[in-house]
Order: sequence, then structure tokens, then C-alpha cells
Amino acid sequence: MKRIVFFISILILPFLVSGCVNDMNRREIDEINLIRVLGIDYKQDEYTLSALFSVSGGTDPESEGAEEEITTGLGRTPYEAYEDLKRKATKSISLGHTEYFLIGDTAAENGIDRCLDFLSRDETIKMDALFYITKDSMASDFLEEGIENKQKINEDLEAIRQKQEEIVKRNDNTFVNLLNEMKQTDSSILVPYLIPEKSSFLTPGYAVFDQYKLKDYLDEETSAGVNFVKDIVRNYPIYLENQVGLMVTSSDTKLVSTMEKDRIKITIKVDFETMIREVSASDDVFAAKRRDELTKEQNKFVYDRINLAVNYSKATGLDIMQLARMVEKQNIKEWQKLAPSWAKRISDIEYEYSFKSRISKSFLLG
Amino acid sequence: MEKTINSKQLKELFSKSTDIVQRPLNVGHSGIIVHLFGVDGLMDTLMLDEAILKPLTVDENLKKMQTEKEVIAYLLEGGSFHAFTNEVTDYHSLLRNILSGMAALVFDQEQKALIFDVRAFDKRSITEPSDEGVMKGAKDSFIEAMRTNTVLIRRRLKSEFLVMEQLNAGKLSKTDITLVYLSNIADMDTVNRIRDTIQNIDLDNISTPAFLEEYLVDNKKSIFPQIMYTQRPDRVSANLSDGRVAVVVDGIPFVYILPCQMVMLMQSPEDYANHFFISSSLRIIRYIAMILTIFLPAFYIAATTYQNQMLPAEIALSIQKAKQNVPFSSASEVLGLLVSFEILIEAGLRLPKTVGTAMSILGGLVVGQSAVEAKLVSPTVVVIVALAGIAGFILPNQDLSSGIRLTRFIMAVLAAIGGFFGMTAGLILLITHLCSLDNYGVAYMSPFVDIDTSNHKDTLFRFPIKYFTKRPKKIAPENRIKQK
Repeated sequence: MKRIVFFISILILPFLVSGCVNDMNRREIDEINLIRVLGIDYKQDEYTLSALFSVSGGTDPESEGAEEEITTGLGRTPYEAYEDLKRKATKSISLGHTEYFLIGDTAAENGIDRCLDFLSRDETIKMDALFYITKDSMASDFLEEGIENKQKINEDLEAIRQKQEEIVKRNDNTFVNLLNEMKQTDSSILVPYLIPEKSSFLTPGYAVFDQYKLKDYLDEETSAGVNFVKDIVRNYPIYLENQVGLMVTSSDTKLVSTMEKDRIKITIKVDFETMIREVSASDDVFAAKRRDELTKEQNKFVYDRINLAVNYSKATGLDIMQLARMVEKQNIKEWQKLAPSWAKRISDIEYEYSFKSRISKSFLLG
Repeated sequence: MEKTINSKQLKELFSKSTDIVQRPLNVGHSGIIVHLFGVDGLMDTLMLDEAILKPLTVDENLKKMQTEKEVIAYLLEGGSFHAFTNEVTDYHSLLRNILSGMAALVFDQEQKALIFDVRAFDKRSITEPSDEGVMKGAKDSFIEAMRTNTVLIRRRLKSEFLVMEQLNAGKLSKTDITLVYLSNIADMDTVNRIRDTIQNIDLDNISTPAFLEEYLVDNKKSIFPQIMYTQRPDRVSANLSDGRVAVVVDGIPFVYILPCQMVMLMQSPEDYANHFFISSSLRIIRYIAMILTIFLPAFYIAATTYQNQMLPAEIALSIQKAKQNVPFSSASEVLGLLVSFEILIEAGLRLPKTVGTAMSILGGLVVGQSAVEAKLVSPTVVVIVALAGIAGFILPNQDLSSGIRLTRFIMAVLAAIGGFFGMTAGLILLITHLCSLDNYGVAYMSPFVDIDTSNHKDTLFRFPIKYFTKRPKKIAPENRIKQK
């Protein structure tokens, strides 16, 4: 008897702690439409969710690839729009395989928090799903134009992800990272923005959010400066005026904040290494003098980009380099005084720079 | 009333048995009549003639004998040309000896009998192990003759401490059983328990190995094997030197080893013939195969029916595509194919070898392919079930493989009921069950559940032999040091 009770209780236990719904979400996989990309838009007080599904090649098992189709849902809130989308979809839908979320320009201006709230309550959502802002465009238009141009949107976004991974050490636009950034209200949230480019997409830079609302778009150079400060640069091309092309192969940035008479001073120490990729001039780039000149020039190149980010931050008073958490960690006692007036102090931060770099030879030509 | 040894009584008893040899003999023509009894076919007649009958009739000394007592004494002291001669006074042991193939000379007046071990019956020769073959290693295996098997063990352990106790079980079959252990290493409590268990078997006939196995295991309800069997004498000798006990049964071409832990069932004789890196890698593959065979069908059901987000999107889409127009649920597909797989295995076992191959091709390829084309099952399920099935056969022990196959069904059913939560419940139950099993005082999951890490060197990984310094504490408590 004891054993039977034990057996039954073990069987029941996982179901009690799982928070399952009535039918345990039982649904055969072929009865579900898997949303691959979800676009979120806001227009005239109404949210529109555009779901891009991959429809497997009909009844013919020999057919190659999958077609993409879009279904939209409307509602006063994103969740209402999602429910509408569920009603309109031909099968049950699932966000469990959605790897990309596109937030339209206007929806971003209305607040990214509203877009993310219903998603953060869905237990099936992928925490590493990526978010992008569609610059100057509705996400639905973005998707529809892509389909009209016979683009494989999911594959193109996958290509964007791969390209991102080539140039930065980590993708900060994942769902879980955005949720974390939203908790840190002292800094701006940065989400890469997408622009269409013929039959593909590009991510030139970051969209800047202030208090969850879209404020501005950073250009490519300023975004690169932000990446250097955030110490996430994996690879970055440097084109010097004297016809030498280099590639940053490793980079390490350290930020040190000090308090001097109620003024915040931040020292940005960048240590990077480059490899020569192209030399159009005839002189020997590895001659000691020439190499020193190139090193100075590449330091200046990186400095210019960081300075763009710093100047933007000073001019707008937005913490685009997400310094608040670093200052808090390095000045725990002082932070309590600083915190209430942090937004006002961003423009007054004093910056100091230190650059150290090396140029290494590349393969056969050196 | 206790029966006495008497030729008349024996003649009556065997009057209808044509295979029982009954013959009166006039010892040395002295007028003393003794009776020879034996089973035709179980005795070596040449040896019987030369070593016993000839001296009895031609020995000059016997002619002078006046009493049966003198004859018995003379024969025991070397009058017969046979090394293995015994005197018995008990009627039942006389019967047992005759029926097991020995020759008996019955002396009516003395109510005694002399037993001559002239057993010789047809037996197959020692061949390569059919189930535990190795590329590098000994090629001999046990056969159905118990004495041959004990010889194979003795040849490998020339220790004075090697004990071979003769036991009997089965009221009708009177099956000979030899309990083998090293008296200076084995835990005597375990030896005594096994001996008591065998002696207390009240069954009339030990006709199949399972009859004895069920008596020897502690937890009879468990589907996991708690007794190890092997065809290999080298494996028995290795386990004996670890402190375990071997049970050799007449008529069974393998030897049982106790106490048994699950880790033993995952070891293969090849493990010790290969480099330890290679052996360890193969063992890891075996454990992965065990996990795959238990959980893969269940995982498929859970992932395609409940938590599809566990699958990468591309695989989910591929499964979706493969499942289109298949009328059955994933659970029905998997369970149906698992049952079909078992039917194929059973059919393959029963059929003659020549037909069996054709059957495998017909069942596995033709029917499988046709089922996929007819949209009865999706190709993914065929792959999943085939992979799980093949992974199950990687396990070195057939009994473990059978237990795992049944577990696979249970897991699949639980996954069909509750997805990954059902699987989790099953996993908890499985681990709880395995950890609760105890085999002659040693945990079935030992050494994984042991605090003492000295015995972990031959588990998931096979360490170099020089690290095998100690015997398992619970198995050889008194003599743990293997090498310094």
C-alpha cells in the first residue's frame, strides 16, 4: 500500500508543480503554425501583430523548402492583437519557435515595454530571440515588402544574426537582455535597427530608447563607438586615409570611474590589435616609423568613433554607453547620492582616453 | 521408515526403466554376489569394464575373500583401478549417484554400495562465446557440462583458496550446482546466503535458467537483471577475484555471478582488452545508447505533442512536414512502431536463421518503407524507433537490454500522458527504483551511489589497470587490497 501511494504521488508531483493548463497544452506538432517572425506595429491607437509562418511544402514530401506567409491580428493592446491573430490563423499558433521580433517605428515610439509585456508572460517564448526595430517603417510593411521581393525573410534575418556575431562578441538585443536592460532605467535601451537593402536587410546601428520610448537612431560610426565602450567589438574594419585597410581582431575596453568634487570622471582605456588587410601604397608599412604612424592613426580612428558616442551622450543627456551600472558598481557609496540626478549629470561627465594598439602581420604578404 | 540399500528394492524400482543397467556379479568367482547398477549412456563403458568389472572377475585376491566387508575394504584400498571411489550407506544418495551417471556396486548383506565416478556423456566441445565474443582475448566459453565449466575456472585461478562446493537442487531433476568462491576474499555471509537459498529451493525441476535466477535474486518484481551471467571463464575468474560468488549449474552453458550491480552489466569483456581511453569512450557510448534507447521515443512524443518549443525550429518544421497526412498521433505512431519492432525481434528469434534474415529485410525495409509511403507513419518516427531499437542492442547484457526495452515503453506511455512532466515522473520513479534495489547487501547502483570513491575507477570510465588497487568494500570487506 505504501509503495502504491509513493508511486502515485511521484507520478502526480511533476504535474502539480508545473503550472500546467487544462489539457497540458497537448497539441500535435502538425496542428500548429510555428511563427518564425513576429512584427509589432502601432497605428491609430491600434496594435497590429504580423506573424510570418513557414508553411511546409504542401502535401508533396518531395517539395523543397518552405513558403512564407503572413497573418495579421489587430487590437487595442499587443495581447489583444495576438488573440485576434490566433483567431485568424488557420491552425493553432505558437511563439515557441519565434526567433525574430520586429518592432515597427511607431510601436517603438509608443513604448517598447508595452510590446514586450505580453511576450514576457508567455512560457514558450525563446529567451534568445532577437529584437530589431524597423527604421522609418512599419514592421508589417517591412515583412510584406520582403515577401513581395521574394526574400526568405527568416533566412535573411538569420544572416543578419550571423553577421552581428561576426562583428560583436555578444548580441545584446536578445529578449532576456532587453528585459534586463529595461530594469536598469538609468541607461538607455539600445536595439539594432533594420533597413531594407535591395533583396536583403542591413543593421547599420542602434535605435536609442529613453524611458522605454524610441528617441533616435544612431549612425553606423556612433554605434561602433558604443560597441567599443561596451567592450563587445569582435571585428571592426579600419580604413586609414593613406590607403591602408586594417581589421580589429581583438579589443579590450576598461572603464574606470572616479568622483572628483562631485564631478564624475570616466577613463576609457582601449587596448586593441589589428591586422593589415589591404595596402594600396608602395611604402613598407612595417618600417618602424611607418608602423608607429599607422598605430597612431588607427588609435585616432577608434577615438573618433568613441568620441562620437561620447558627444552624442553629452549632447542629448542619454546614457547610450550604459555607464550607470558601471559607475554604480565602482562607486557604491556615492551612487546613492548620484542616482536621483544621474540623468542630469550625464552631460557633465568628464572623459579621459587611453589607447594602446598593435598591428600584426597577416599571412603571406605581412 | 528409512530405506536401506538393497538390490532387490532397486530392481523393483527400476524394473520398467530400460536404460538402467542391472547386473549381478560373482566377485572373483568366490560366491559373493554383488549387483551393478548404472544408467546406460551416462557411463563410460570402457572405463567401467577396465577399471571395475575386469578386476572384480580376474583379481586373484578377491577369490580369497569370504565376506562382503572384506571386498568393500579391498576395493576401497585400491582393488579397483579407479581413482574416484566412494562408499555410501544412504539409499537416497545412492539413487542420486546412480541417476547422475555413476556406477554403483550394491552389497546387500552390508547394506552398502560403492560408487565409481565413470560419468561420461555426450557433450559439445568448447567453442567461442556466441554472445560475448572479443577480438583480443580468450576464445573459450562454458558448455552444458558442469565439470567442464569448473575446470575452465580452475585453470584460470590456481589458488588454494578457490572453493567449489557441490550442491543440489530440484526434487526430480536433482540438478548439480557448484558454488564457486575464493575463501580468502569473498564475504562469507554472502556465500552462506547463496548456499542457503540454493539448498532451500523446493522446486521439483530446475528446467530452465530462469527457475534458479528467480530464487537467487532479492527483488523478484524488478524488471532489471540482478544476477549476472557470462559465457566467459575469464570474466568469472575476474569477478571471483573481486570477491564475488559464481554459481555453476549443470546443463546451463553459462555461469551466474553474484552479487550483481548495474555497472557490471554495462561492462564488456572487450573493455579490458583495449586501451583504457578507447574502452572508456566505448563505455560512454554505451551509456549514451542506454539513455537514447529509454528516452528517445518518449522525447519525440513529448516534443511533438506537448512542448514543441524544445525542438530547434528547423527540426520542428521538418517533423511537421514529415507528419503531414499521417492520420495517427505521434504517441500512437511511436507506440505502434515500438510494438512492431518487438514483433519483428520475436519473429526473428523463432524463425530458422535462413528465413530470419529474409524476414528482417521484409519486415524492416519493405514494410517500413511501405508504411511510410502509405502515410501510416512518418519517416521521422521510423528513424526514431530504429535508432532507439539499435541503441538498445549495444548493451552488453541481454537481460538488461530486455528490461530497458520495457522501460522504453513505460516512458513512451508516460510521455504520451504528460509530455516532459510525464517523462520526469518516469525518470524519478526509475531512479528511485534502481537506487532502492539491493543485491545481497550491496546496492544495485553501487558504486554510483557510494561515498567511497575508490571503486569509481571501473564505472563510466575504465581507468588504467594500475589504479585498480582495491576491491569493492561491500563485496570483499575483509580482503580489499588487490595490488599496492
